[in-house]
Amino acid sequence: MNALQRHRALTRIWASDPGWRGWFTTVNHTDLGRMFLFTAGFFFIVGGILAMLIRAQLASPRSAFVGPEVYNQLFTMHGTLMMFLFAIPFFEGLAVYLLPKILGTRDLAFPRLTAYGFWCYVFGGSMMIFALLAGIAPDSGWFMYPPLSSTLGGPGINSDFWLIGITFVEISAISAAVEITVTILRYRAPGMRLSQMPIFAWYALVTAVMILTGFPPLILGSILLELERAFGMPFFQVAEGGDSLLWQHLFWLFGHPEVYIIFLPAAGAISMILPVMARTTLLGYGWIVAAAVSLGVLSFGLWVHHMFTTGIPHMGLAFFSAASTLVAVPTAVQIFAWIGTLWRGSPRMHLPMLWILGFFATFVIGGLTGVMVAVVPFDWQVHDTYFIVAHLHYVLIGGFVFPMLGALYYWMPHFIGRKTYFKLGYTAFWLVFAGFHGTFLLLHWAGLLGMRRRIDTYDSGQGWEAINLLASVSSFVMAIGFALVLIDVVVNAVVAVRGSRDPWGAGTLEWAMPTPAAAYNFASLPVISSRDPLYETPDLPVRIARGEGYLGDPARGRRETLTVDISTGQPRHVVVFPGNTAFPMMMSAITGLFFLGLLIKAYWLVPVAAAGVAACAIRWVWSLGTRTPEGALPVGRGEALPTAAEVSDPPGWWGSLFLLLADGTFFGSLLFGYAFLWTIAPNWPPPAYAEPDMALALLAAAGAVVAAGGVRLGGGAGPVAGSMAGPVAGLAGMAALAAACVLVLTRAPDPTAHAYDATLWVLIGYALFHLGLAMLMTLVLWARRRAGFVPATRGGERRIVALWTGYGAAVSVVALLVTCLPGLAP
Amino acid sequence: MRDILRLSLPLTFWLAAFSAVYGLQGLVCSSRWTPLLEGWPGRTLLLVAVLAALAGSAGLLMALRSRRWGSGSAFVRNTSIALALAALVATAWTLMPVLVASRCL
Repeated sequence: MNALQRHRALTRIWASDPGWRGWFTTVNHTDLGRMFLFTAGFFFIVGGILAMLIRAQLASPRSAFVGPEVYNQLFTMHGTLMMFLFAIPFFEGLAVYLLPKILGTRDLAFPRLTAYGFWCYVFGGSMMIFALLAGIAPDSGWFMYPPLSSTLGGPGINSDFWLIGITFVEISAISAAVEITVTILRYRAPGMRLSQMPIFAWYALVTAVMILTGFPPLILGSILLELERAFGMPFFQVAEGGDSLLWQHLFWLFGHPEVYIIFLPAAGAISMILPVMARTTLLGYGWIVAAAVSLGVLSFGLWVHHMFTTGIPHMGLAFFSAASTLVAVPTAVQIFAWIGTLWRGSPRMHLPMLWILGFFATFVIGGLTGVMVAVVPFDWQVHDTYFIVAHLHYVLIGGFVFPMLGALYYWMPHFIGRKTYFKLGYTAFWLVFAGFHGTFLLLHWAGLLGMRRRIDTYDSGQGWEAINLLASVSSFVMAIGFALVLIDVVVNAVVAVRGSRDPWGAGTLEWAMPTPAAAYNFASLPVISSRDPLYETPDLPVRIARGEGYLGDPARGRRETLTVDISTGQPRHVVVFPGNTAFPMMMSAITGLFFLGLLIKAYWLVPVAAAGVAACAIRWVWSLGTRTPEGALPVGRGEALPTAAEVSDPPGWWGSLFLLLADGTFFGSLLFGYAFLWTIAPNWPPPAYAEPDMALALLAAAGAVVAAGGVRLGGGAGPVAGSMAGPVAGLAGMAALAAACVLVLTRAPDPTAHAYDATLWVLIGYALFHLGLAMLMTLVLWARRRAGFVPATRGGERRIVALWTGYGAAVSVVALLVTCLPGLAP
Repeated sequence: MRDILRLSLPLTFWLAAFSAVYGLQGLVCSSRWTPLLEGWPGRTLLLVAVLAALAGSAGLLMALRSRRWGSGSAFVRNTSIALALAALVATAWTLMPVLVASRCL
């Protein structure tokens, strides 16, 4: 088979459906990456228009351009769209598009999950846009502090749109994070060791794990606040034992890592682009990896620095002040590594480089003002002023938008397969750069003069007029610059001439394929032995096209790729991917009905939609694997490997593991909230605690022991490993635990009476949900075994069920203990 | 997976220790937990926790340097040691306020 025949055969297998239908049925990462980027770009434009309306309002004192009700919606939606519907999805889009290409594989780990996440993002984002157009958009600020956002301060539906819409969108972030993590760890080119991964993959890995551990506190907070708003469960109402500060803790447990979730992918893009622009290799690869990991973890220890003015004791303030200054160190390590790379190389001033230099100038200023506000006395002076607004825009626009525009121009030849011929981008850069600093450098000054954020208008005579007028004019200059970027991209995409394969002379694998990329990425999977394979083996693209790598023979006629060992990159299994299907879109639409039911208070719709989602999930699982064992399959280069469906650690096991990481963080945040209320909230203790008795204790203990035995049997490799003994024992144990939970609820007080009662219902409800989920999984496993599916009989599905059973049993025991133990106290 | 754990464990330990000491400070300053903590001077309790965090962090550093627990890959070994060192410094720096700041004011 020659290269052209191979290309045609692979294209037949991997191509998306033709025409408009392909938009809805594609599960290909190239298509979905572009769709994510396009949709995120749309939300950036909407958020930008809202910013212009804000600046139009503030250009002059006593402006009557919009009233306070509309203004509140404008700034809330500006922040919400930019943070949740632009920045995070833009990273997801870039990662979805790029990762398989730079890692040397053919698609992401779970293609249907990519599509499901994308459609959840679209439907959730549409909810927010509808609210904006209907004039009922959220209006309590993008961090939604209660009581302003609770029924006390916002009785309308506005806050519900935020709480429900953003939670819906976050399904997309969690989905993307799971598959980015699994893809980076298991789906690489054969031979690619951890030390040989492109640096962007390290940043994406850290970011994805941060999403898995950073988003759950916000999802929890949103659920608790919505429960309070809809059903009166008083988590944030002081009179009933709640505390509005709990929301601040949960929000900023997410909110501060969010800043780094936004910054780190941009830093990853810089670390990819800068060495190519400087015609050298990256200086200090290992140090940069260590710095990225450090930033990722340290950022979780900073959340209270957003709460310095809430009356926290000095020692607590000092902990977080120290941690906030510390985070500058790994940031500086990266900056110096980049400067060293520039110093070592011979930089070329192409457009991507210009945006990166813009990043340096801007982000360093934002970082330094960040150190200023990490110092408690200074923060007390500028908290909630325009100094903070200016600082966060320096960090987010300088640290994310500038590098991402550099990345857009760097990878644009890859996206569109054309040269970036027209030079409008240079003019656009200077307009954006000058407009940005004209806007936000001045606003630091307004903040220092006492201008508070979120005011819809101001009186003259406070020294703010000239600053605001100049800032508004500059902001429109910046907007014109962004509009020119858009025009430049569209014009280049439509009319520029065809480009060469590797226009920048880069060494990473995404440039080893013709552009725009074929649906299958690599005609054969290359064997990698260096960090810049194209520098080491310049004829690698030809070898790939000739089929000299793995899986170069498409004879089996299905979508296949390889998984590898995490550390060594040695090939381990053959993965068979699903084909085109509209199923993920349908499932996300049904998921949307679940959220819509909550939003419009049509509660009958909620269980119906939940049942629909469960039915879809079962159908999803039912299509996995075959009923006939395939054994070891030839994969090229004289090797044969088993399919992932027939091994004990299939990708689904890894996906479950990382999903449980997010789930465990959610549960941990719930326990933190419970402990916080116990320790801090006024009006405790509650009137009464749940009182356990011997029957409850015996039921729970027996359930825990039997479930643990089931997990041990189901997850191990002993003599009964292939049987249903483990899952059946697990099922029995879970049933006993579920009975114990129901027993607690039957004796539980009214959940609206006190925050303790409300928390008890949520903790036990969480346990019951997970027990139900694990029991459902066990039943599906049993049904699949009876139907003769190979993954259920000899593959890893039993271990996946054991994982979920163990988790469900563990959280049930913990939930029962923490809710019932107080009742035993004298 | 072990290499990923070697890279992620040191700073995760810092985060756990940091959060635990912050939580402990909340407990020692709350009247609700006084019966449980009776007989323990608050600052002593905090100092013991900080020392335990420092010892744990130092132990991790030593383990990652050892032949038994360290990685066979030079890249993972060097990076994990750098991260363990960073975690040790972070523990000392961020928990230093236990020595100098007022406890519950």
